[in-house]
Amino acid sequence: MSVKVSMKVNGKAVSGEVEARTLLVTYIREHLHLTGTHVGCDTAQCGACTVHMNGKAVKACSMLAMQAEGADILTIEGLAKADGTLHPMQAAFKEHHGLQCGFCTPGMVMNAVDFAKRQPNASEQEVREALEGNLCRCTGYHNIVKSIMAGSKTMATGK
Amino acid sequence: MGAPLIGARIQRKEDYRFLTGAGQYTDDITLPRQTYAAFVRSPHGHAKIKSVNAAKAKTAPGVLAVYTGEDIAAAKLGGLPCGWLITDVNGQPMKEPPHPVLAQGKVRYVGDHVAVVVAETQDLARDAAELVQVDYEVLPAVADGRLARTKGAPQLHESAPDNTCYVWALGDKAAVDAAFAKAAHVTKLDFVNNRLIPNAIEPRAANGSYSRADDSYTLYVASQNPHVERLLMTAFVMGLPEHKVRVVAGDVGGGFGSKIYLYAEDVVVTWASKQLARPVKWTAERSESYTSDAHGRDHHTIAELALDKDGKFLAMRVKTTANVGAYLSTFASCVPTILYATLLAGQYTTPAIHCEVTAVFTNTAPVDAYRGAGRPEATYVVERLVETAARELKMDPAEIRRKNFIRTFPYQTPVALLYDIGDYDATMDAAQKLGDVAGYPARKKASEAKGKLRGMGYAAYIEACGIAPSAVAGALGARAGLFEAGEVRVHPTGSVTVFTGSHSHGQGHETTFAQVVADRLGMSIENVDIVHGDTSKILFGMGTYGSRSIAVGGTAIVKALDKIIAKGKKIAAHLLEAAEGDIEYASGVFKVTGTDKQKTFG
Repeated sequence: MSVKVSMKVNGKAVSGEVEARTLLVTYIREHLHLTGTHVGCDTAQCGACTVHMNGKAVKACSMLAMQAEGADILTIEGLAKADGTLHPMQAAFKEHHGLQCGFCTPGMVMNAVDFAKRQPNASEQEVREALEGNLCRCTGYHNIVKSIMAGSKTMATGK
Repeated sequence: MGAPLIGARIQRKEDYRFLTGAGQYTDDITLPRQTYAAFVRSPHGHAKIKSVNAAKAKTAPGVLAVYTGEDIAAAKLGGLPCGWLITDVNGQPMKEPPHPVLAQGKVRYVGDHVAVVVAETQDLARDAAELVQVDYEVLPAVADGRLARTKGAPQLHESAPDNTCYVWALGDKAAVDAAFAKAAHVTKLDFVNNRLIPNAIEPRAANGSYSRADDSYTLYVASQNPHVERLLMTAFVMGLPEHKVRVVAGDVGGGFGSKIYLYAEDVVVTWASKQLARPVKWTAERSESYTSDAHGRDHHTIAELALDKDGKFLAMRVKTTANVGAYLSTFASCVPTILYATLLAGQYTTPAIHCEVTAVFTNTAPVDAYRGAGRPEATYVVERLVETAARELKMDPAEIRRKNFIRTFPYQTPVALLYDIGDYDATMDAAQKLGDVAGYPARKKASEAKGKLRGMGYAAYIEACGIAPSAVAGALGARAGLFEAGEVRVHPTGSVTVFTGSHSHGQGHETTFAQVVADRLGMSIENVDIVHGDTSKILFGMGTYGSRSIAVGGTAIVKALDKIIAKGKKIAAHLLEAAEGDIEYASGVFKVTGTDKQKTFG
């Protein structure tokens, strides 16, 4: 059974015919060709597929494209400014060496941006807890935590 | 140029693309007329395949083909080869049972590949894979390496009696036995170094594409080792000319060893792409990663340390059973032998060491190199023994180590390696200072006052990195050289592109190698690009594992850079009408010594 889905992705209206079972992440990757959102575990554990739906971080591997009908979706490709200037959270990851192989990174950054908006003055412990749903196999998390602390600060204060 | 770039704190060149979602991992590549593969895998540890009925799957929506072991046999595809020959205690070669890319008559572990379905979409391929009916006769299975050689144990391979791949040994057994006979104390341990699953965050993926136009193949694959993958696939499995196959391993999301190897899926999608004249992509689900990626470790060891009454080590005796799984993976044979027993001296002067390793086949996923590959297993053996001995003899754990540290270099260990230099007291001093050992009793007391426990442990580690040079590796059984290639291309304007056979899957070669190049040439790092992971661009390569990237790959680049500078001096001498010997090169400038005559690099 195919269904029609329409939503806004990175500020642009998109629509298409998909099989009803099509996952949001499949729609984003295969239909819209936005491959920055990754699939690491298929089971909502690793967080590599994290995108924003109506401003809130969600795991796109564990919801249907249909469930995002009419929603405003932001993926990693839509985070930097149109001229390519990095979002403060992206810049903080670059500055603090918060990534190695880069595969978990888009999900980390998307989750971090949502978290920083909700809790702008989080402690290191709170940042670590907020990363519960995002796995990284390279870094050992230490620099990711540093990056998020710094990125949150810049988002809150503009510096 | 100012301060050296090597070691400088700079931002990584690759991070912008990773942070903006512009990385190109294998599954991100979708080719025109792309098709998708799903594998039918064994749900049994050990079973005979009585029949495979793919009729329903073949007529399912979107299905283009279903291939089984019969098709692979008819196509005369070879099995997956092992890249390292181990010779056993009797001088016989290890047993290398066939490792077919789709099972032939029997499955030997849960996850073993039985058939593949190719369809128009990934979902349709997976749907149809569930329709393939395999009639199994389930056989008794053995999973525990300790039980593989017991009487009556299920036999995996006709060509490997008693499930034994090899019994291998290193060291002077007579000397060890003599030392144990006169020892004041013997510490003995029986322990398991458990099997684990590597779990790179990017699942394995492969996308094979055949071009009728020039009878060539391109394989995009999540690999740490694209050239070796091509070599093994062409020369040993598919019988193809090497120049007709291009292997591309662009951005790879971590490996930890598990992406060093040539896997069945890589071969199958490449072969199937020719049958269908369409590209065939397979991406592992996480559950497939668990069952079909090469696993790590899985040792059972009985280890003994002989000491004199003062805690001086006299000899070590190690007997290890290494569970290599159902088939020999690409480097499975060298991990529990060459990369393991040679590290058993650790940092100590133990004069006699003997290690015997029995590699056994079991009904489990193949085991191969994982993070450190054999060397952490060796350290675990040595340090558990040393720590236990200290406790048994009521000696301070740091003191027993210091008592036995090697202090005279070069030092020939009794297990083949020659240590050129080291200062283990210095590292111990630093560790004790960093760990504030002096303040430990007070901290322990404070913890106890709060009803908490506090402990402190030591481990001294030595590692053999690089897995080179080729002559040594070859003498030890490597079936390929373990060199590395580096090519430096200087563009007319003086910027530089460097091609390396080493591979980055998180290590950051594009930055660290560029630091080396820019530093050596005395130019800005922005003028240096590093290219890796594509056999059509890079001469050759042995890939990345065993901490060999900068040690071997970096060295190859430095040697190439030195040739560039030497050639530049020759040209500068000609242009400046000076003798070649009078040209010096620094900070991007060729200069006639003692004059102001000069030519810039770019």
